[in-house]
Amino acid sequence: MIWAAIIGSGLVTYMVRALPFAVTLPVRLPAPASRYLEALPVAIIAALVGPAVLAPGGTLTHGPEPLAALLVIGLVAWRRSLLIGVIGGVAAVAFLRAIS
Amino acid sequence: MFGTTLVTGATFGVVARQAGLEPIEIAAMSIIVFAGASEFAMVQLFAASAAFPVVVATVFFLNLRHVLMATSLRPQFARLSRARRLAAAFFLTDESFAMATGYFRRGGRSLAYYVTFAVSLYILWDASTIAGIAIGSAIGEPRRFGIDFAITATFVGIVVLAIRRATDVAVALAAVAIAGALALAGASTVAVILAGAVAPLLAVGRPR
Repeated sequence: MIWAAIIGSGLVTYMVRALPFAVTLPVRLPAPASRYLEALPVAIIAALVGPAVLAPGGTLTHGPEPLAALLVIGLVAWRRSLLIGVIGGVAAVAFLRAIS
Repeated sequence: MFGTTLVTGATFGVVARQAGLEPIEIAAMSIIVFAGASEFAMVQLFAASAAFPVVVATVFFLNLRHVLMATSLRPQFARLSRARRLAAAFFLTDESFAMATGYFRRGGRSLAYYVTFAVSLYILWDASTIAGIAIGSAIGEPRRFGIDFAITATFVGIVVLAIRRATDVAVALAAVAIAGALALAGASTVAVILAGAVAPLLAVGRPR
């Protein structure tokens, strides 16, 4: 299953990268369609965050995830660094678990 | 850009290893898929035991934006043979697109320059993934050190860095809320793709 997912994901990723190089598409997509496509990645990655932060175990969390996520937002917005945000968030979760 | 790729690739290796994937699977993801956010998303979906069509569909939507990027680069590549264009397409990423757009706008003409840059990123991404796998294998007991949160923290950071305008914030918050609610309702694997497909509708009516 994992291998099918990896190979399938590789194929669809290559397909969207190569399609415009292989065939002639209409020169311009309608503006609403481009806006939808531009917003897709933010939406999907945020959708991955939702369950992981609000319901990491399948039920509403009382754990450290929401607080740590807010800290990551603050750190990344402030320092513009993914690494600093990840280190801060991981440290916060470890700390909050240790004191609870 | 090379520094970010190195760190993100190594983070991916660590996180994927900690999520219980085999080293060969993790390396194959970077070598075959070569798309950072998608690979992190795949790890998360594997951890939730999502069925493979759900994983592939999520990756497809996540990468659909490449159609826009490739379309905008197409005129620069028109003088290459079709086979070379199709080979160059494999190396198209957010990073190489950003670099190419800047380079061609400044009047650059050398496609060799773009290809060298894009292929270097690919090699660096694969090498740093493998380094991350080694580091991840050496760290035991991820929960105690909060390392299970690293992937979530990475997504939060990617979203924050990707925000360009007010509608992006609205789209992100809507996606978090919809996916969170669906997960609570017990639909955690399709939550991502449903919320991801619905939330961008908020951006469709954005004024220019």
